[in-house]
This record gives sequence, C-alpha cells and structure tokens, in this order.
Amino acid sequence: MNEFVEECRREWKRLGVPDPVANEMAADLTVDLEEAEADGASAEEVLGRGAHDPRSFATAWATERGLVQRPRLPGGRGILRRSHPAAAIGAVFALIAIVGAALVISASSSGSRRLGLPPRPEFRAAPGAVWVAAPGAIPRVMVIAEDTNDSGVDTHTVGSVLLIVGLAGSVPLMLVWLWVGPSGWSRRRTHIDDRPSRPGY
Amino acid sequence: MAAGEGRRTQILRGVLDLCLLAVMEEGPAYGYEMTKRLRARGLSIVGEGSIYPLLGRLEREGLVETYRAASDGGPPRKYYRPSREGRRVLAAGVSEWRAARDALDVVLGLVEAEVAP
Repeated sequence: MNEFVEECRREWKRLGVPDPVANEMAADLTVDLEEAEADGASAEEVLGRGAHDPRSFATAWATERGLVQRPRLPGGRGILRRSHPAAAIGAVFALIAIVGAALVISASSSGSRRLGLPPRPEFRAAPGAVWVAAPGAIPRVMVIAEDTNDSGVDTHTVGSVLLIVGLAGSVPLMLVWLWVGPSGWSRRRTHIDDRPSRPGY
Repeated sequence: MAAGEGRRTQILRGVLDLCLLAVMEEGPAYGYEMTKRLRARGLSIVGEGSIYPLLGRLEREGLVETYRAASDGGPPRKYYRPSREGRRVLAAGVSEWRAARDALDVVLGLVEAEVAP
C-alpha cells in the first residue's frame, strides 16, 4: 500500500502539484487504504482499476482536482494556442511556398505568363530579361495578370523564388517542431484549470 | 473486456457522480466511507475507475464542501458533503436518470419478456 502511495507522490511531484496539497492527498489515501486493509477489502475495492497503475491514478486525481493541466490531444486547440507565434510564422512561410508552387505550376502548364508591372519610363527591360526587384519596387508588384508586353517578370522565376523562400522558412520550423515536440514550445506550469470537465470519472 | 463489463462501466461512468452525491447526502463521508456505503448497496467499483478523481472534480466544480475532522479517534479525515449546488445537481440528475430508466425499460422490458423461460 505504501509503495502505491509513494509512487503517487512521485508522480504528483513530477506533475508540479504543490507539496502541501500532495501531502494532503497522500495522507488521505494512506489512511483510506489502511482502513480498507483492516476491513479485509482489496485495493481494487478502493482504487478500482487505478490499483494497478499508480501513475495514471495520480495523474487523473490531480487533473480532476484542477491541480495540473488536462492532457490535450495532439493537434488540438491547446497546442495551437501554446505555439501560436511559431505556428503563425510557419503558416506564413507555408502560404508563400504554396503561392510559389502555384505560380510555377501555372507557368509550366500555360507557357510564359508574366506578372504585369506599371511601366517604368526610366527603364525598359529587354525581351526575356528578368527584373530583380529592389526594396522600393516591391509594392509595385501588386497586380497579377497576363502581360502582353515584354516588360513583365517571369512568373516561373517569381514562383520559384517564393517557393524557395517558403520552403526555407517552413521546413526548418517544422523540423524544430518535430524535434522539440508539441509540449516543448512552452514550459509546463501548474495552474488551476476551471474549465467544465467531461462527465464521468 | 467483455461487452457486458464495458456496458456496465459506461453506465456507471454516467451516474457515479450522482451515486457519490447521494451517499454523502445521507451524511458527510470520507473517501473510503463512501466506497463502503456504495458496497453496502450492492455497488462495487472493483474493475471500474476510482472515486478519488471524481471527488476531485466534484470539489473543483463546487458541488461538494469539505472539512477535516478526526474519525472515531483516528487520524483526521477529509469529509465531503453536497453543497447547495450539489444538491440541486443531484435532484436534477436523479430526475434525468429516472426518465431515462423508464424510457429504456419500455424498450428493453419487452426483450426481457420475450427471452424469459
């Protein structure tokens, strides 16, 4: 019996349950188990299935009391909430990669589609030339349309650049996320969980 | 797990909180004392989940009040009793249980009559 309680105490410590609360729970459990033993009752009659799995029992008790955060399913809202800054950045890079891929595919399937730009009187590109946008010119690349003259940017090139930038940003983030794990984005902390819980036990 | 045991577990899972509130409504009780009261009425939790996490949830939701007191000269125990909200939830839950039981009896009672020797 004591071994069971000690295992529970270790689990509560690992979960970050405050010592006074853990001691109180351990004391209550100890006297209950001792009384049951004196009555000739089995541990299963007191602990149910938990008698064979002290760690799960301890986790369930602490969780239902609101002493530790309820475990969340992978891919649930909790993960998104904990890791939303990284997830948002990753989503932006992924979106860039998707747009780039779409442009590359579009250019490959329909020939030489070009991004239309306002005419630049001070510079006229030679046919087939590729513009390298200076920072000040970036806002000018606003309209995506079929360009019938020779002063556009090659859609395939733009798509390739966006695809590379998107992959370069999203792939490392994804690898770090897989390496650290969903729970690694934030430090585990004890808090009172006052959300309504599911019925049952 | 056999199908019958799984069904029993599912049924108990839905009403064990009401059962605990009911037995502590008879008088404040500590954890193991509630187990004994349930067992005295033929309801064993052997093979089921423990009552302790459930008591923790009832406490967190404000459905029970707790206090510490010695039990028969023994060590201090944590006693539970229904709060005002707990008694309201118990009354509502018992009504729901009776309505569900009556409806199910109408359906399942016929089956029992057909298979009875």
